[in-house]
Amino acid sequence: MRMIKKNSIFYVMMFPVIIYFALFAYYPLVKGLQTSFQDYKLMGERPYIGFDNYNQVLHDPSFWDALWNTLYIGGGILIFGFIAPLILALSLNEVMKSWFKKTAQLVLYVPHLLSWVVIGGIFIFLLSPDSGLVNLLLIKIFGIQPINFMAEETWARMIMIGSAVWKDMGYNCILFLAGIAGISPTLYEAARMDEATRWQQVHYVTLPQLMNTMKVILLLNTLGIFRIFDQIFVMRNPAIASKVDVLMVYTFQKGIMEIRIGPAAAASFFVVLFTLLLTSVVRKMTRFDEV
Amino acid sequence: MDIERLERRGWRNRTFDVLNAAFLILLMLTMIIPFANVVALAFSSGMASMKPEIILFPKDFSIEGFSTVWNSLDLRRPFMNSVIVTVSGTILHVLLSSLAGFVLIQPHLPGKKFMISFVLLTMMIPQDAIMIPLYLVNKDLHLINTLSSLVLSGMISGFSILLMRNFFLSVPYEMCESAQIDGLGMFRIFTTIYMRLAKTGVATIMLFEFVSRWNMLSAPVLFINDSSKITLQVALKSMITDASATSSNLLITTNVRMAGILISIIPLLAVYPFIQRYFMKGLMLGANKE
Repeated sequence: MRMIKKNSIFYVMMFPVIIYFALFAYYPLVKGLQTSFQDYKLMGERPYIGFDNYNQVLHDPSFWDALWNTLYIGGGILIFGFIAPLILALSLNEVMKSWFKKTAQLVLYVPHLLSWVVIGGIFIFLLSPDSGLVNLLLIKIFGIQPINFMAEETWARMIMIGSAVWKDMGYNCILFLAGIAGISPTLYEAARMDEATRWQQVHYVTLPQLMNTMKVILLLNTLGIFRIFDQIFVMRNPAIASKVDVLMVYTFQKGIMEIRIGPAAAASFFVVLFTLLLTSVVRKMTRFDEV
Repeated sequence: MDIERLERRGWRNRTFDVLNAAFLILLMLTMIIPFANVVALAFSSGMASMKPEIILFPKDFSIEGFSTVWNSLDLRRPFMNSVIVTVSGTILHVLLSSLAGFVLIQPHLPGKKFMISFVLLTMMIPQDAIMIPLYLVNKDLHLINTLSSLVLSGMISGFSILLMRNFFLSVPYEMCESAQIDGLGMFRIFTTIYMRLAKTGVATIMLFEFVSRWNMLSAPVLFINDSSKITLQVALKSMITDASATSSNLLITTNVRMAGILISIIPLLAVYPFIQRYFMKGLMLGANKE
């Protein structure tokens, strides 16, 4: 008891945090689960209806579209968003002049700093058929008809993947570079003694030594797949919606726009389930726990 | 190794260096050209900005885009809303997360284990997956259409608490003990000793929070539908993406849109030098302890 009294100041300090998390993290989780089994109306009775909401979601073709879009776009971002910054980091690492290296990092990081509204807006503008930079270049160089990138289903997903990879490339590259900086210089010295070429140094020293960093980044990015929202919310338009709407957008549409809260809550729990499933698969595949 | 082979390798190295630099420059251009384009358009006149031309420098220089977006389209109010939410949210976030981090380094604190798992577990809850119930909670608390809902969204995070805890752990605990003997209260010890010694950590989460709050989109979209309470990002979004749909609004020429984008970028560019200095260092330091 005396211990508790002596430490009371600490409990006072911790109090707001506990209340906050209880109210804005744990309670919503429980409430979400409860709601997913209810015929939830904003007013009046909210009878429990068993798995009806889940059933509804599973029989909604646009849910399956959203799931497939999430896997397609999210998977693309996961793969290319991993490879591109890795190549970039290896390439930056070979640069000897430090001013050039610093400038490159400075410039490449900027898109990560900006919101998806800004980046999405710039992309929409650059790709617009009448006055966008890309089409103007294409017309000038190849003399082809302008392509309405943001309205064509074939391009839509690729643009989403491409812009996401482009935006976060600089950020992930810095994480890789930090990993490279942590590699012991003696390994490179030894490699040079053995007359290893630069490529051999990368192949036999840098890449194997970077394995742990790679696993962490891969796992973090996997968690991000089901969280894609801002980007699609900004860049979607009716012409391509069915090809790019991801699960988060689907939940938002169902819950907030159509006010069908029960099914939306059920869909959210599918997202939780998929996240858990995918994370454990990636953990297994990368043998993450052995790190 | 004979000279000829060395020389050949030198040549190959140099070719590689040139190609490598070219690759990086090309990549940088994909970032520089669009932004140059945005800046040039923002400072061009409405007429010039609507012409289908590639411009990297302002044409027919004018700042009418800025005055239109700021005054006629009244971007001022969303801008101020964003400032209020970002500043107050960031201060509260740093203060409360640091306090919790400070509590969690105390040895022999009954219930500490529980508190740590309580904090850790919140990091497993996907924020977006509780989007709908969060909306309901805010509704029950009558927070919908208030800026408070935006300040409260993500006001404390497990990540920041753990990061600050790691920073505080690197301060020798004897300091806390001797300060206590000198009669300093715990809160004073926290502000005068710990917060000062963990400056890198504070700067890290502060910048992190500042940027993510300024860029926040899903929370205002979810909680706000009163047009006097919307934030800059939401205002900008409707200006950029709905402009084509509601082309009756002749005010929104390209230079106006680009001026809006630039205005929203300025605060971020203002903190960018600090991010360069603290951000990565902070993340690495914070992550490597434990």
